[in-house]
Amino acid sequence: MSTKTPPAITCQSVWQVFGANAESALNRALSSTNSADEAAAQLRAEGLTPAVQDATFEVQEGELFVIMGLSGSGKSTLIRCISQLLPGTGGEILIEGEDIRTASQKRLIEMRRNTLGMVFQHFGLFPHMNVAENVAYPLRVQGMGKKERLAKAQKVIELVGLGGREKNFPRELSGGQRQRVGIARSLVADCSVWFLDEPFSALDPLIRRQLQDEFLDIQAKLKTTIVFITHDINEALKLADRIAIMRDGKIVQIGTPSDIVLNPADDYVREFSKDVAKGQHARVASVMQAGGDLVHGPDDPGLRRDMTLDAALARCMELYEPVPVRDENGALLGVVNPADLAAALQVDPAA
Amino acid sequence: MTTLSKGSMAALIALAVGILCLALEGVAPWLTAFPKGWVLPATEWVGSAMEAFLALIKPAARLFSALMAYPMEGANWILNVTPWPLLIAATVALGWRLGGVTMALMAAVGLGAVLASGYWPQSMNTLALVSVSVPLALLIGGAIGVLANEYPRVRAPVQALLDVMQTVPTFAYLTPLLVLFGFGPVVGLIASAIYAAPPMARNVLLGLQRIEPEIKEAAIMAGGTRMQQLFQVEIPAAATQIMVGVNQCLMAALSMVIIAAVIGGFDDIGWEVLLTMRKAQFGASLLAGLVIVIFAILIDRMSGTLANEKRRYYDGRVSLGLIALGAIASIIFYGQIQDPGAYALFNSTADRVDAGLSAFTSANAEALTAIKNGVMFYVLLPLRIGLDQAVLPFTWGFVWTSGMSFTLFAVGAAAGLYCAYRGKLTLGVVILIAAGMLETGISQLPWPFVLVGVGALSYVAGGLRLAALSVGLLTTILVSGLWERALLSLYLSGASVFACAVLGGAIGLASAVSPMVWRVVRPICDMLQTIPLFVFLIPVLMVFQIGEFSAFLAIMAYAIVPMIRYTRHGLTETPAEMIEAATASGATRWQMMRDVRAPYAAPTILLGLNQTILYAFAMLVIAALIGTTGLGQSIYLALGQADVGLGISAGAAMAILALIADRIVQGFAEERRKALGL
Repeated sequence: MSTKTPPAITCQSVWQVFGANAESALNRALSSTNSADEAAAQLRAEGLTPAVQDATFEVQEGELFVIMGLSGSGKSTLIRCISQLLPGTGGEILIEGEDIRTASQKRLIEMRRNTLGMVFQHFGLFPHMNVAENVAYPLRVQGMGKKERLAKAQKVIELVGLGGREKNFPRELSGGQRQRVGIARSLVADCSVWFLDEPFSALDPLIRRQLQDEFLDIQAKLKTTIVFITHDINEALKLADRIAIMRDGKIVQIGTPSDIVLNPADDYVREFSKDVAKGQHARVASVMQAGGDLVHGPDDPGLRRDMTLDAALARCMELYEPVPVRDENGALLGVVNPADLAAALQVDPAA
Repeated sequence: MTTLSKGSMAALIALAVGILCLALEGVAPWLTAFPKGWVLPATEWVGSAMEAFLALIKPAARLFSALMAYPMEGANWILNVTPWPLLIAATVALGWRLGGVTMALMAAVGLGAVLASGYWPQSMNTLALVSVSVPLALLIGGAIGVLANEYPRVRAPVQALLDVMQTVPTFAYLTPLLVLFGFGPVVGLIASAIYAAPPMARNVLLGLQRIEPEIKEAAIMAGGTRMQQLFQVEIPAAATQIMVGVNQCLMAALSMVIIAAVIGGFDDIGWEVLLTMRKAQFGASLLAGLVIVIFAILIDRMSGTLANEKRRYYDGRVSLGLIALGAIASIIFYGQIQDPGAYALFNSTADRVDAGLSAFTSANAEALTAIKNGVMFYVLLPLRIGLDQAVLPFTWGFVWTSGMSFTLFAVGAAAGLYCAYRGKLTLGVVILIAAGMLETGISQLPWPFVLVGVGALSYVAGGLRLAALSVGLLTTILVSGLWERALLSLYLSGASVFACAVLGGAIGLASAVSPMVWRVVRPICDMLQTIPLFVFLIPVLMVFQIGEFSAFLAIMAYAIVPMIRYTRHGLTETPAEMIEAATASGATRWQMMRDVRAPYAAPTILLGLNQTILYAFAMLVIAALIGTTGLGQSIYLALGQADVGLGISAGAAMAILALIADRIVQGFAEERRKALGL
């Protein structure tokens, strides 16, 4: 891996503590112990709330990084620290190598205009502006002329499939349409780092799936760096390059989707992945015993390392002949093809 | 022995102090009447301090007043010189633009009536005042609201200041303004700007704080500077709430401009009401009052559409056409247009109202006197000076004896004991205390008992801090020598609030049960809330003349509305799921009302009571115009004599009473809300 370009986002021991004199309390706690857990316990004992504790990770350029946790786990607080909607109490946050926590107010505004984009759970649309004005707003604050910014907004509106709705006001749109506006607005300034705070949580399951797919298409086109927050393990597994799982303000595991599913770091993560259709997310490689001289049977269903377990199972089952199905007296009722059994267990691969 | 609840304990302590005071009355008279020697000359201190301060800023104030005279005279000139057909057309055009045909018709009929009444010039003078004071108030209020939003550190003091400004009676700060600015219309203008600014500030702050956090965050992430965030996103997003502020600001300004006529004495519509009222020309007074009501309704309904989230604008071309029509009519008939003050189409009606009224009052004199005296002798007086003094052969037909006192206490004690036996100790003690208060009369309650009683009540409602605050504030009234007047005010407002609570609660309940009743009650409530305070006095005066009973009625008419509204709202807003659960359990209508709706509505109804108390205190001072004793009268007298010390002290005492009542009721409401998990 090249070391010349810095990671898109670097978080080094980031803390966000709520309460009176949080900063000095945090410094005191950190100087008295080396363990983040003990420091957090000490802060709690003093009546403060350590909402994010010692978060350390890097997000590479173009990576889709998902932060997952239940409500109250600190994931929304963490994304607000990174985007500096909250000041953060301790630690270092670098955006494309630049320390955003110590950036001047002026520089911060510049970064928000040119580098950072954000999508909100409840959309955060401006109720007094129509779709086009909402989408064009980030250009308006930069002083771009009306004609130019509306023309630019139009392209993004088309991209998210809202063409023809430009003159509508947010209150006239459905939830899914509103979030399309939110996405368009965050994309209009060509940001390179994109924050999405539970963007699809407030939507119906069907609309959610549709928007997830469109989101992946957009991501494939634009190749921006993404930090995506969700409380839905299936959404995380579907979208993520890597997942960070948070609990009570701490990051308990960071890994690829199959890491999370097959090698959960603790019971908490295991609990999450319990309901997940593992066959869909885990690959053959994760259960394969490696080596050239291992004994194997005569059949070769044609498995590959990167096949999902579901697909591999189906391939194996195809080797079987149909088998009989009988009633309690042993009379033949019909036959079942084992390949059909495997197929019936699979969730629609698009899900 | 089981431990006593907080409420029982507080009630028992108050009872003990009350009994002690009654028992020692003979030995230690200073217990009932606070000794004069202990009174500090606080009123004079406040007076001289304020006068020194006022003298200091007087030059600046006079300069400001001289400056304000220009826009005021300008507005006056414009409104008086513009031909009335054009003004009416412009108002109708505005009405059309804001609310379509209905609003346009309302404007046409309303202004037509004003024109026909012959009060057009006076109305224009009043409007000129409003048109200068409102922009001033909007500017001041808006700036305060935005600043309080920007700097969280000043938010708490600003909120407290707004609270105080809302509770200090209007007349109270007229006195220092009078000293500062001298007599004349400018005082009214400034008073109305000061009075109208707080609702604006409050609504701006509320609107800005209620914006969804994500909307603010979106503006930040879009890369807006703070100014861009504020003016391009936050203020427009809060527009609906801010427009509520504009509406309230307009209404407050109008109300105050009319009240200011008491000192203003220039040719405006408030002055007209006051003048005719003093001359007992009630027909004319009612007519002028109706003109005020017309303006109030027009201004309220038109500005109210701005605060409607789903508002739409009607075709502007129609409006332009209407204005053009008005202009053309004005030009063509310029020579023939009559002086708008010369119309007097309703004068004969007014005279007939006068005559009819005299006929009515003389024909029903006995019945009216019977009502008035009945309430006075059997309700108000006993409350005020106690049964032991109110019961006289002249009124009740017999003399109150100590045996009767004993019986009263015995009955009270028996009822109290019964309640205590049934496990409702607090209720029992409260009944006994009530019996004692009935015997003594509110205005003659021993001061240690009042202090302890209010302290105990505050403690139950809001803990030690509130108790300390209440007792501390009451003590300042006590030592400043305004105690007796404060108790008199307390008695009258207490009686009105009690009557409002009972009557308003009943009407609210009826409205909640039957939509038919609400359909009748609702427009009446809307109407009563739109009318400026001043106008309430007219019909009461017409029938019952000057006196405490009239004041009582006027206060009730004004203060009953929130009680009705909140009661109905609370009772009807029970979540549908709770109703369904109760229905599924087989509850009847009344069981539902008693067991589900009423408990759920309790905090809302308490808030209604709270509003009723504040309204009653506000009206108490206005009612002083038609004869009440107590603080209201003092404030009014101070105004007449330009006595800043008395005016401010009495105003402060009034504000203190209102503030304590407000905090106690809020405390109880908060407790109920918490108990319900709301």
